[in-house]
Amino acid sequence: MLLTFLFFPIFKWLQCVTVPVAEGKSVQQTVEMLNKKLEQLGAVKQGNFYVDCETYHAGAPAIANSGQSQKFLYVMHNSEAPLSCFALFENGPCLVADPNFDVLMVKLKSYFQNAKGNKVESRGARYQYCDFLVKLGTITMGSSARGISVEVEYCPCIVANDSWNLMMEFMQSFLSSHVPGAPAVFGVKPDGIYSPSDTMVQYLELFNKVRKQQATPSTGMR
Amino acid sequence: MADVVSVGVNLEAFSQAISAIQALRSSVTRVFDSLKDGMKNKETLEGREKAFVSEFQDILQSVNRDLNELERLSNLVGRPSESHPLHNSGLLSLDPVQDKTPLYSQLLQAYKWSNKLQYHAGLASSLLNQQSLKRSANQMGASAKRRPKVQPSTLVIPPQYVDDVISRIGRMFPDMSIELFRPNGTSAVLLVTLGKVLKAIVVMRSLFIDRTIVRAFNENVYSEDGKIDIWSRSNYQVFQKVTDHATTALLHYQLPQMPDVVVRSFMTWLRSYIKLFQAPCQRCGKYLQDGLPPTWRDFRTLEAFHDTCRQ
Repeated sequence: MLLTFLFFPIFKWLQCVTVPVAEGKSVQQTVEMLNKKLEQLGAVKQGNFYVDCETYHAGAPAIANSGQSQKFLYVMHNSEAPLSCFALFENGPCLVADPNFDVLMVKLKSYFQNAKGNKVESRGARYQYCDFLVKLGTITMGSSARGISVEVEYCPCIVANDSWNLMMEFMQSFLSSHVPGAPAVFGVKPDGIYSPSDTMVQYLELFNKVRKQQATPSTGMR
Repeated sequence: MADVVSVGVNLEAFSQAISAIQALRSSVTRVFDSLKDGMKNKETLEGREKAFVSEFQDILQSVNRDLNELERLSNLVGRPSESHPLHNSGLLSLDPVQDKTPLYSQLLQAYKWSNKLQYHAGLASSLLNQQSLKRSANQMGASAKRRPKVQPSTLVIPPQYVDDVISRIGRMFPDMSIELFRPNGTSAVLLVTLGKVLKAIVVMRSLFIDRTIVRAFNENVYSEDGKIDIWSRSNYQVFQKVTDHATTALLHYQLPQMPDVVVRSFMTWLRSYIKLFQAPCQRCGKYLQDGLPPTWRDFRTLEAFHDTCRQ
């Protein structure tokens, strides 16, 4: 139904490259600044949203011992599609299931183990401006804020490439020069019609970036 | 002040004059009553006639008396001042309490208004008479007798011909698919799907386009009961705007003698929306204005413009 584009201006980058955020501004303050900008633009706040992602690693002994690179399964939820649950392999297929898929995963404990403490989620406000939907979220992992996600949808258009220029222009209006290049999903299906799982693939990429970004040694898998 | 006083005096005379009129009327009525009743029953014929004549004379005299009285009073009342263009209503201007009862100024305003209205209505009607934009048979001629004659031949086209024209247009534009429905009788409803951009519902009357509504590609074109939904507007502002422009286009493309050309021109115009989200405005060069892409397409050149950039 919707065309989604998602990108991730890492907070630090935001600080040094473009918007002259004063030293020591927190993620929260930057989000508030972006919220303000959107509201000045005329966007209307319409409640909140969340996207979360749980990581499971395929714990089957055969795979673990065979020396292959370990495979991860990500189970994601999106408040925009409350009656669905998305299961994705990295660079692999995306499965859209009913919400009780979570219960199934518990039953499959012996094959897929939940990597506790690796849950990433993005929560924030949802804005509407004309036919645009903007979701401004704070990405948190564990209890710490790791970055900001900005999701922009242009609802009337279902073909991603068609509206790219239009979206660029819109994003420039509130993000000035942070606007990134076209997301990889566009390339995969250039003529394809948007589906909600495209959004989830983009969020997964984003969350994986967040995980890699954390340099501190932790209990996480990478 | 003198005026006010004289008005007061006049009022007294007025009430007297009114009662004099009443008296005159009743005496006149008595004349006719006695005439109607005729002669009263007396012993001799002569006596009858005498009594009748004397009674009649009495009554006539009283009529005369009343009339004289009325004439006398009418001199007292005086003529209404004719100097004022509004006649007696001009007396409202004498009201000293303007703030509480601004009747006079309101009256003048209303008068001006009605004058202007009449003037403009006259202009409009003469203009409208020159342009005959008669698109439906109901407006044709006031007399029911002549109506069948006046009815344009374009309204009685056989459905096969309509099907033909539509399918030919459909073949002309490969990126546009046209489905034809006849949900109610012979009038056709077209569902035009343009690429992956939009769906337009076009309601026809024979080969005239009556109404059109544009929705997003992913929006419902059928209502809950499975019928094609020709009423509800799109949820998206872009397509509401495009619907408005399409309605304008319907009025623009008019050629009563060749309705198939009209349909073809409209479809050609509609087809230019295939780049609705991709074409920047030809004037300002931008994609967005107030959150909307360039929704206007020029009728001749089919170039894209923002709604406010097109003038």
